[in-house]
Amino acid sequence: MDYIYFLQLTANGLVIGLIYALIAVGLALLFGVLGIVNFAHGELLLIGAYAMALALPAFGLAYMPGAIVAVLTAIIAGWFIYEIFLSKLGHGEFERSILITMGLSIVILNGIQYIFTATPLLVNTEFGYAGVNIGDIRVAWTRIAAAVLSAVTFAALYVLLNYTQIGRAMRAVSQNRDAALMVGMQPRKIGRNAVILAASLCGLAGAAVAPVQLVQPYLGQFLVFKAFAIIIIGGMGSIEGAVFAAIALGIIESWIGGFFPVVWQEAAGFLIMITVLLLKPSGLFSRGGVRVG
Amino acid sequence: MEYLLELTGLTAGYAGKPIIHDVSFRLEKGTITTFVGGNGAGKSTLMRAIYGSCDHLGGGIIFDGGQIEDKTPWERYELGIGFVPQGRCNFPDMTVSENLKMGCYTLPRNEHRDRIDAMLESFPMLSRKIKEKAGNLSGGEQQVLETAMVLLSEPSLLLLDEPSLGLAPKTQGEVFDFVKRIAADGVTVLVVEQNVHGALLISDKAIVLEMGRKFLEGTAEEVRNNPNIRHAYLGGNLSEEEVSE
Repeated sequence: MDYIYFLQLTANGLVIGLIYALIAVGLALLFGVLGIVNFAHGELLLIGAYAMALALPAFGLAYMPGAIVAVLTAIIAGWFIYEIFLSKLGHGEFERSILITMGLSIVILNGIQYIFTATPLLVNTEFGYAGVNIGDIRVAWTRIAAAVLSAVTFAALYVLLNYTQIGRAMRAVSQNRDAALMVGMQPRKIGRNAVILAASLCGLAGAAVAPVQLVQPYLGQFLVFKAFAIIIIGGMGSIEGAVFAAIALGIIESWIGGFFPVVWQEAAGFLIMITVLLLKPSGLFSRGGVRVG
Repeated sequence: MEYLLELTGLTAGYAGKPIIHDVSFRLEKGTITTFVGGNGAGKSTLMRAIYGSCDHLGGGIIFDGGQIEDKTPWERYELGIGFVPQGRCNFPDMTVSENLKMGCYTLPRNEHRDRIDAMLESFPMLSRKIKEKAGNLSGGEQQVLETAMVLLSEPSLLLLDEPSLGLAPKTQGEVFDFVKRIAADGVTVLVVEQNVHGALLISDKAIVLEMGRKFLEGTAEEVRNNPNIRHAYLGGNLSEEEVSE
């Protein structure tokens, strides 16, 4: 086996995996805190990706300002979606949450297609196609930027969830809703915080993915189904599980795409999901029965 | 006489269906009251109705002089009602320390340390287990943790739903002593207990519920000595020793 090729595939997979993780973590967070499955999650990313694509030329292709615009746009979109739709749902209203968010997803997707057409956008940044050689492998700056942004975000997320009252409250509501009420928390306020956080992760994922892949209206749908597979593999509601499963899936997909016919790449994640569901129905990282939500 | 809580014709339930019908009573400040009743009598629902975590369908609740029936649980919590629900009601994947910090959720930041330190002094067991995950504590320890989490907000009314459930008899005794201590500090306590006898021994007053309605109300002593109640909830005749307690 050509080890340089293998390392190259691994590096590419790691970057994609980190982007998957941004999406999946937000989805897992919403599932935990609100007890709902957000099918419109991919469209928040889509909005972030288009915001990045449109903002970059305005900032002379500067990466960071573009990413900030993407995150802010996704946060505003997420906030609207929460206030208008999700806040009307009771906890764990699964069927309604699925239908409402699925409908929203299709409306947003078609709205974007109407405004920007289905023609894919090729997104250029200040980095262009330049890259850096690390040993024998070459990684584009846009991929490095995506990886660094994601890694910094996960570190910040870890601190937020473990060391601040806002973050701890999100974990608290997802662990036990009754106990959250017992200590005077307002689940709705915490739900809104979780949506804003998840939307900002989506916006960042959109910004990171835009220069790496083509931006087109189906980008979000394509990624969100993988995110579902990832949170199922990781154990619904488990954030560490989602990060681990996302990175693993990114790398495995990249290997499969590199060594086998590329059509199998897409099927890989779902094959793993089905296998995990058959062997360990609660996912790889789920924690016993005490967990509520 | 000063009343802390007054229910007037309260009807409450779930999904619009009443479980509690037209219940009225008053609680004096600093007293312990036990709800007595069989399974499905509505004891837990009545507690939830007082805390606002089930549907309010009619009647009124006056707490500390103000109407509260339209208020949310977190508003009632801020007013000084603490509710420790039945069963494991903590954050199992968080440490004892984090759980206590969550108990301070509504308090100003600069008060967290002092209140938690004071609580750890009252419950040395918690400081020994401060780094353990709540889910790994024994049932009794979790009960103490949950009560401590609620007491951090210094409620004036404490609702305890089955505090001794699933505990060894010795630990049950400790729980009752602990409830007495809380009341001695001026907190008004309302208890639902499967160990009716134990609860009545520490209570000032008892309210008997049947099928979601108030069936009887009296001092703990009267209820304990009521032949119907003895027969239905206290397992027939009490031994001499129990009566002399």
